[in-house]
Amino acid sequence: MDTQWETYEVFHQTKRGDAHVHVGSVHAPDPQMALQLAKDQFARRLKCVSLWVVRTKDVTATDYQDDGFFAQSTDKSYRDPKAFESPEKAVDDEH
Amino acid sequence: MQEKTHEQKLAEFEARIARGEKIEPGDWMPDEYKKNLIRIISQHAHSEIVGQLPEGKWIPYAPGFRRKLTLIAKVQDEAGHGQLLYRAAETLGKSREEMMEELLTGKAKYANVFNYPTPTWADVGVIGWLVDTSAVINQTMLAQTSYGPYARAMKRICYEESFHIKQGYDAVATLARGIPAQRAMAQDAINRWWYPTLMMSGPPDKISVHTDQAMRWKIKTKTNEQVRQEFVDLIVPQIRALGFDVPDTNCYLDEATGHYHYTQPDWEELRRVVNGDGPCNAERLAVRRKVHEEGTWVREALAAKQSKTPKAA
Amino acid sequence: MSIEVPSNISSKALSRFVLSLADDEFILGHRDSEWTGYGPILEEDIAFSNIAQDEIGHSLVWLTLCEQLGGRSPDAMAFERSWKEFTCCRFVSYPKGDFAYTVVRQYLFDAAEQVRLQSLAQSSFKPLKEIAEKLIREESYHLLHSQSLVERLGDATEESHRRMQAALDEAFSQSLGMFETLQDEEGLIQAGVFPGNDVLRNQWLHSIVPMLKAATLTLPVKSEHDIYRILCSSDDGGRRGAQTEHLQQLVSDLRQVYDLAPQSKW
Repeated sequence: MDTQWETYEVFHQTKRGDAHVHVGSVHAPDPQMALQLAKDQFARRLKCVSLWVVRTKDVTATDYQDDGFFAQSTDKSYRDPKAFESPEKAVDDEH
Repeated sequence: MQEKTHEQKLAEFEARIARGEKIEPGDWMPDEYKKNLIRIISQHAHSEIVGQLPEGKWIPYAPGFRRKLTLIAKVQDEAGHGQLLYRAAETLGKSREEMMEELLTGKAKYANVFNYPTPTWADVGVIGWLVDTSAVINQTMLAQTSYGPYARAMKRICYEESFHIKQGYDAVATLARGIPAQRAMAQDAINRWWYPTLMMSGPPDKISVHTDQAMRWKIKTKTNEQVRQEFVDLIVPQIRALGFDVPDTNCYLDEATGHYHYTQPDWEELRRVVNGDGPCNAERLAVRRKVHEEGTWVREALAAKQSKTPKAA
Repeated sequence: MSIEVPSNISSKALSRFVLSLADDEFILGHRDSEWTGYGPILEEDIAFSNIAQDEIGHSLVWLTLCEQLGGRSPDAMAFERSWKEFTCCRFVSYPKGDFAYTVVRQYLFDAAEQVRLQSLAQSSFKPLKEIAEKLIREESYHLLHSQSLVERLGDATEESHRRMQAALDEAFSQSLGMFETLQDEEGLIQAGVFPGNDVLRNQWLHSIVPMLKAATLTLPVKSEHDIYRILCSSDDGGRRGAQTEHLQQLVSDLRQVYDLAPQSKW
């Protein structure tokens, strides 16, 4: 029998305004304990203002092998700001 | 879409590694790669948690507040590293329960060094300094490993290991400046740990069956010999700078190569220790088994409590 | 840096009081650290190592205050005193037992620490007040952790219930020793240093009795008009140095290396 508890993915926010970043996982018996255990494992040195935990099995992810999911088959440069003329540059060129 | 052949998948896998890209969980990978990784990562995890014991023994005896707090934090980190590494191995489909089981039944291996006794306080410092310096050289290499979860775990571990080395060195340097009995204690520990530490990076590569494949798939990026030489080149000047002797009369700087020459350890001893016949193997595993058994009711109770609690809507 | 003690407070009584706080934390921290490497699961091993570091760290804070009140250095106090000079309650000196005993002891202690620090945060002696305000932040999370474990283990399985109740049966009478009346306690109360152990004990009972009851655990305590009547003896003596043989062993262990070269740095 597996007695190691289920796993929770841990997300760590270093300071207000930053994004939460995935830092690892903990084995925990429930979400509240997961938060406490995640604090001791992932925030005992690093500065932290907020933690999220999510049951690993509740994460829905893309499949690495299905790389077509992210395919960009046609030219999408029209969505890239670098592909356009820059108003600042026009002003700079003037001087 | 037509199913790719094994050869095509293997070629794509190797091309990805050659480009320096990481392999992630769920990627197609050769069985040998997966098997090799599970073996390396779980051995590494076992080494961390068995490695808690020889130093942890000294927590009740640590002299002074600072040493006591530092040692608890250090041994705590080892549990933390074990936790991270077991998790990395779990992404390859093996549960932590199964890995623990293999450790406790003596099926799995772990680092040779943790099967040696720690009879004096100086062992704590020397393990932190010598053993962890050797470990960090190995782990810095492993932070480049081709398997994403392992590389991520290693990055964090390396950062914490640098604290381990510093606290170890600090403890030994303090002994070096102490009374003769303190100096003697440190020299004795260096003498006892020298060869076991040299053995840590593994047998010479012509004897190692695993190195070849591990290098090709960038699980490892350096040979055992390279890692060991890097360790010797780094540590010998440090040992001598503190006024201690390297317990190898044939250890000298080879001007021609710029590297230190050293006497090879007894590889037969390494084989014995890794295969279960070291000075403390039985003791270490007996302790781990007892801890695991005594904790079973706690793990079971908390798991049961979770399934009893009604889930929030 | 030495600290002036106002004339209405007995400096000796104050130092003795602070030392008892320091000794409680130091010895309990030592016991907690015995789980480092031996926890029931890796995550709890890590958690208990944190608690051990916090408790020992807090004792260092209290001992630093003792030094500022004219005492010896924290290392000298912790590593050079005889076991009979320790003034911790006997409760913290007992062996760590099984995880149930450790959790129950930690919970009873954390809950006591919570009311103790809350009252000290109102202390008339400013240095005490400031330290209490600082330490209470960490202590609250120890309480959260030990309470979470008690809540869950109390009625999770038959075995966990049996172990937790047995641990509580053993620990409760011992834990009352945390509130042993101090020498000169009356003077400290008069000067507004702290409200006294009788008050703290009652506040503590108000916090633990309902919680333990919810966790299906029973205590030898009767409630009468907002006052709890305790139906068992209190394991006193620690505050006046009547310590257990377990503390004798513990202190002998912790001095073992230090004593090899007491004049040296380690």
